[in-house]
Amino acid sequence: MKKILALVLALVMVLAATSAFAADLLPAGDTYPLNSDKTVTWYSQDCLNPHEKYATWQESPFHTNLAKLLGVNIEWSFPTTGADGSSFTNTMLADPSSLPNIMKGYFMDSANMLLEDEVIWDLTPYIQEYAPAYYAWLQTNPAYDRAMKTDDGRYYAFGFFREDGGWNDSYLGVVVRQDWLQECGLELPKTISELENVIRVFHDKYGAQFTFPNDARFRQAGIQGAFGAYATGYVASDYGWFVKDGKVNFGAIQPEWREYMKWMAKMWKEGLIDQDSFSLDDTSIKSKTETGKVGVSYTSMGQLNLWNKDMGGDYWVGAHFPTADDGSISSQFGGFGIGTHTTVITKTADEETMKLCLRMLDYAYTQEGFLFWNYGIEGESWEMNPETGLPKWTALVADDHDNDPMTKYNGATWGNSCIQATNLLYLKNSPVAIAANDAFFYTFGKDEYFADPEVEAKTLAVTGGWKWPVGITFTTEESDKLDLLGGNSNLNTYVAENYAAFITGSKDINDDAVWEAYLAGFENLNLNKILEVRQGALDRYEAR
Amino acid sequence: MTTAKSSKVVPQFHRLTFAQRVIRDWKLNKWKYILILPVLVYLALFCYKPMYGLIIAFKNYKPTRGIERSAWMDPWYGWFERFFTDPYFGRLIGNTFIISLLTIVFGFPAPILLALLLNEIKNSKFKRTVQTITYMPYFISMVVTCALIRVYCQQDGLISDLVTAFGGTRQNWLMNSAYYRTIYIISEIWQTIGWNSIIYLAALSSIDQDQYEAARIDGANRFQQVIHITLPGLLPTIIILFILRMGRILSVGYEKTLLLYNSNTYDVADIISTYTYRLSFSGGTPQYSYSTAIGLFNTIVNVVFLLATNFISSRVSDNSLF
Repeated sequence: MKKILALVLALVMVLAATSAFAADLLPAGDTYPLNSDKTVTWYSQDCLNPHEKYATWQESPFHTNLAKLLGVNIEWSFPTTGADGSSFTNTMLADPSSLPNIMKGYFMDSANMLLEDEVIWDLTPYIQEYAPAYYAWLQTNPAYDRAMKTDDGRYYAFGFFREDGGWNDSYLGVVVRQDWLQECGLELPKTISELENVIRVFHDKYGAQFTFPNDARFRQAGIQGAFGAYATGYVASDYGWFVKDGKVNFGAIQPEWREYMKWMAKMWKEGLIDQDSFSLDDTSIKSKTETGKVGVSYTSMGQLNLWNKDMGGDYWVGAHFPTADDGSISSQFGGFGIGTHTTVITKTADEETMKLCLRMLDYAYTQEGFLFWNYGIEGESWEMNPETGLPKWTALVADDHDNDPMTKYNGATWGNSCIQATNLLYLKNSPVAIAANDAFFYTFGKDEYFADPEVEAKTLAVTGGWKWPVGITFTTEESDKLDLLGGNSNLNTYVAENYAAFITGSKDINDDAVWEAYLAGFENLNLNKILEVRQGALDRYEAR
Repeated sequence: MTTAKSSKVVPQFHRLTFAQRVIRDWKLNKWKYILILPVLVYLALFCYKPMYGLIIAFKNYKPTRGIERSAWMDPWYGWFERFFTDPYFGRLIGNTFIISLLTIVFGFPAPILLALLLNEIKNSKFKRTVQTITYMPYFISMVVTCALIRVYCQQDGLISDLVTAFGGTRQNWLMNSAYYRTIYIISEIWQTIGWNSIIYLAALSSIDQDQYEAARIDGANRFQQVIHITLPGLLPTIIILFILRMGRILSVGYEKTLLLYNSNTYDVADIISTYTYRLSFSGGTPQYSYSTAIGLFNTIVNVVFLLATNFISSRVSDNSLF
């Protein structure tokens, strides 16, 4: 009996381990190639450009292989090199009669208008029959399904999803010099006091300060969670808003945010924050980090990788998002594992072509398609690793010294209408970068995350749960109204300016009168009216 | 003889009908018209046709609907109203004017002085070297120039090094609103002084050398020659360039500001063009109609300044554009 139990247990464990591999959960894609003689035009903004080594997509293995596997001729187009992707797409949209059949861009904000104006297909009547794999995928998570349709339940797009459901959305955080920590006998900081202590010790011993590229990184993500605050000082796009108990609110007016500012102001006053932080970007900070002038910084796993590469060793490591001293944290940088990328089928495709396009796009959500989009063709660019049961690169990719050689063969590295495999990110990044991302994401511990569903829920609540959801759509009237109210742009200017003034002390954050005047300033910026419009859109989203 | 002939021709010409005059003119000037044709086509296609797009300032433009099918704004001045009632309106206009005026006050005379100085140099090798060095910064990309400025202004940068040598304290100079404009103007002069002096040097070479000789015979020293011959000779060029410059008073480019400012210096650095840049590229959907309305307003103010300067100039001196 015991033996059988052990056997069953072992079997369950094996199943649990492999089920993390999304391909096994997806339906088979055995109806491909489609053997169509049609030619479909496909446009992709920002990602899926042929690798820089290829002059045209005709030379690119990914693009030509995809057409072969689908059995459909594809004619690709991309924004002109050097052009701003969004502007390019918008210019194309001005002539709806000559659009490509399939278009990848960022259409969530304008979905309602595009459907009203009959620029894109309403996929609702067709999706179950012609894109069964995608439809099944959307049903695996209510958040996926909600994000990919309009308020009145119309499906209009294929989305980008991360298999890990948010791990890589937390790609930014506090980074620390590991060798200095060791020299000083310190641990990686976990709480805000510990972080403060590390900064202080590094300052005394090495003359280093807390240095970060403010506009490019820190202001967008911050460390306000340690103070019980939500959202950031970066209001452009949707970072500045948070949702709690179904109510949308603005982060930079909360008393907790003021506490965060007080801490920053204190650090600044004591000379612990580098004054240059406000004018640094990813490039200029490197001259400081690499010459040993910085001990604590704030950046992405990708940049951390570069810093280490240029310094010739794993000097920099990722730290946890600091919590309050009692271990609590309200929010941190993260997401839901759903991209804002959307791929739509335009009305230049007649009904037959539209059905064909649906099946072509559906491929990425089948077992075979998932593997192809992430790794390319088996035996060519990847093979199964018998030890892990996961794909690994063949010599073709592993020995290629070009930038990101895998992007010659796969399409899921950045984002498109597909599911990105976590394993792909593991294969693409160095161990120290992956460890950093682990530290950023698993705030309550990695082992605990997988062992305890409560910790998992807690982690997801802190990383993405408070955020303005991906896929909310404003009606045309609402976006017009937001434009006239000044929208995010004015709010962002106001908050950015005061955020800087509070930190540098040109406005005294400890003075109640200053804080009151700051709050009163939002009256002119129509904050309450904007919140009203947003609440309406959120309510409709929740009701989907 | 010639005047007698032309006075005979002109009355005759006026007695002809319009059609006859056109034919006659065509026969006389055919090749000139054909020569100028490409220019006219260029102007029509690239300068006049796009003006049609200005109507989106009065529409609620949506890219998918195109210019034709986008709805008219209600009221038609809606976007202008939005701009005039914007909480940042006053600050934007003020900053744009101040930056522009300071650039004119300090930046406009600088190349004139440089040209005058260069003109006095007799060693042509030295003169050419100086010229090349001064106009080189103009050819460096704005991004690179501003990156240099940012590095110099850092806490541990060149300027801080100099200041501490004289007993000052280290700071990031671009963080401080009080120094922003100074840095902007000085670097602007450094970037453009050589390039802008070229046109004055060209004008200088056309001044009649006999005048200098006559002045020397009359006993004028070098400085007096500059005041009484060189400057008056340059005046028409200076005035024309000044009028043109006034016509761009509200058009301060966004690139340099965007590269130099940060949230600490918005209060003195934020100008109309950076504001519209942020409207378009910092999240959300670009507001084409609103940006166009701001652009149109900008142009109107510029035209007013151009006409006013031109008018004053034609009254005070005899130089004017039209």
